[in-house]
Amino acid sequence: MGRRDPLFPNAAIVARREYRDRTRSRLFRLSTVILMALALGVAMAPITLRYLDRSSVDVIVVVAPEERLAAATAATANGIMNIPPVGTDAATWTPPYVIERGTDLAAATEALGAGRIDAILEVNRAADGALSVVYRTAGPANGVLSQLAGFTALSVGIVDWTRSLPPGSQLGAFRTPEFRTESLNVPIEGGQAVDAVQIASRSFLGTVFIVLMFITILIYGMWVATGVATEKSSRVMELMISAASPRQLLLGKVVGIGGAGLTQYLAIALPAVLVLAFQEPIARAALGDAGAGLPTAGLTLGLLAAYGLFFLLAFTLFALIYAAVGSFVSRPDDLQTLSLPLSLIAMAGYLSARWSCCSAGEDRCPGWRPSCPRSARSRCWPA
Amino acid sequence: MSLEIRSVSKTYGSHRAVDDVSFTVTPGRIFGFLGTNGAGKTTTMRMILDIIRPDSGSIFQDGTSNTSISRNAFGYLPEERGLYPKMRVDEQMLFLAQLYGATRHEASARFDEWMERLEITENRERLVEQLSKGNQQKVQFIAAILHEPDVLLMDEPFTGLDPVNLALLREAFVELRDEGRTIGFSTHQMGAAEALCESLAIVDQGRVVASGTLGELKRGSRSRTVRLAAEGETIPSWLGEMRGVATVRPGASFAELELLPGAEPRDVLAAVLARGTLVTRFEVAEPSQEAIFIGHVGRRPDEEPTLDAAEADAA
Repeated sequence: MGRRDPLFPNAAIVARREYRDRTRSRLFRLSTVILMALALGVAMAPITLRYLDRSSVDVIVVVAPEERLAAATAATANGIMNIPPVGTDAATWTPPYVIERGTDLAAATEALGAGRIDAILEVNRAADGALSVVYRTAGPANGVLSQLAGFTALSVGIVDWTRSLPPGSQLGAFRTPEFRTESLNVPIEGGQAVDAVQIASRSFLGTVFIVLMFITILIYGMWVATGVATEKSSRVMELMISAASPRQLLLGKVVGIGGAGLTQYLAIALPAVLVLAFQEPIARAALGDAGAGLPTAGLTLGLLAAYGLFFLLAFTLFALIYAAVGSFVSRPDDLQTLSLPLSLIAMAGYLSARWSCCSAGEDRCPGWRPSCPRSARSRCWPA
Repeated sequence: MSLEIRSVSKTYGSHRAVDDVSFTVTPGRIFGFLGTNGAGKTTTMRMILDIIRPDSGSIFQDGTSNTSISRNAFGYLPEERGLYPKMRVDEQMLFLAQLYGATRHEASARFDEWMERLEITENRERLVEQLSKGNQQKVQFIAAILHEPDVLLMDEPFTGLDPVNLALLREAFVELRDEGRTIGFSTHQMGAAEALCESLAIVDQGRVVASGTLGELKRGSRSRTVRLAAEGETIPSWLGEMRGVATVRPGASFAELELLPGAEPRDVLAAVLARGTLVTRFEVAEPSQEAIFIGHVGRRPDEEPTLDAAEADAA
């Protein structure tokens, strides 16, 4: 009959020592504080970017050979591009575009090149009376602005055409037509169409969660592997192995070092997650309506709990794999040789998570498309 | 608790570290495991502790296989001293005692007693790396006994200790023996072994070449110890070069000569007289442990085996 070596309490005693040893070190505390500050900065990034973006206004200069045509184009562009969002007080709302009139195309082009203005809307009349509209920008044409410019061109054409009607013709004032977009690939969940903001949010959160898990497994997994290898090669091992079984020592190491890693991870992630969870109210308080539709809109308590459970299971699995690898080497230096295969193990988890995200998302993962594997992309991106 | 080692062997690759070793350690006695470096002492201890398993043979403690006995029955002082250098002494001692199954409360009380006993109380809250080598050794000894093991095994426990600390440790050994614990230690320091061991096994290149109580070994020894003094002379330097003399230990008033196996004391006396020396004292004494060791192994315990000897053994 063999010796009975129950895992507890020895595994717990070893785990407690490992945990205390790491969390008490000054380096651990310092790095935790620095990383926590960094994580908070990243969590606040969407609001900060929105805030910076809110304060910037695009200047568009209208250049036309005729005074009346220039005035009509500027008024029409202003009417189309600067529509206050629903429920916004027009008196306090700051329009995102300033439409100015220019007389000299060369001067406007020079200003565009120097970055003093953001775009030029050039309107010309041909000999047969037909209008041509050119929308110029310094960089690549923004999709939304190009569309708005296109609508402006159409509207200016209508205005110009109505002027050629016989005198006395009764026409009402020009009104900006209602405008909306529709998509053929509307994502469905539970029989209901899913909001585009939700889709973007899920893509964003999915990416953040997967990357966080990958980094955590890679860094803290190596902690575990190094801890096991170091102890194995140390002089303490002969004493330890006479007091506890290898299983007790291994489990204690994994739990203790992994626990220290998770403590640091939680210390970093919790404040950041809280900021993310309350980002919508924070953004609304700071930015008003411009804060709506932030990329963390889909972050719910249930999602966080599911992620926490999944994270714990994944981390336990990988920590045990890393510990097993650590126990195979005879010196901690040998782990350097094994760092690539170890990274590949973690990478396998990362890629499978990306794959399953794309596959599950199918046609409701627009944010994933560029990075989807080919087979999954074919379902996301119909020909 | 008696400890019985029966025909134990262990091979690493082509090297036979332990070869059919058998001996018994009686409770209430201090047992010495004597051998040169590489003789197989540490491997045998690790097999007793079930850190490594023998290729063949078995080890019993009070008739039960050592693989079935709880780890806390043993206390162990490894040859390679190792404690966590960045950990406080008191925390480390309690941690190890708890691993061995002692409660924190019991271990704490015993820890205080032993720190006082070994005169290192002021070190209890220091980091291990801040202690001197001797104090680290004493702390390591405390780690081995804090859980009150039935069997205490120590691998070269006296290495690096000054005479004062050596005496402290010897007293502690005797006290533990008197409590009825089984104590075994390996050494190649004959002085310490002779002062403490009541029974011993001599190992050489993995094999036990002699074992028994000190009396049995002395009676069975083929070697002789001779005490010699000469009038008006310091100890002559040529004594060590005489035929049949293994070692010479100079003393204040006489020299102690360990003779090689088969050498006769009367031949030594004749050789000394033939040099014209006036001998004032000549005494054939009981053989020391060193003499017994030399008698069985053919060299001093602190000498490495020669290549010739190793080749002869291999053949």
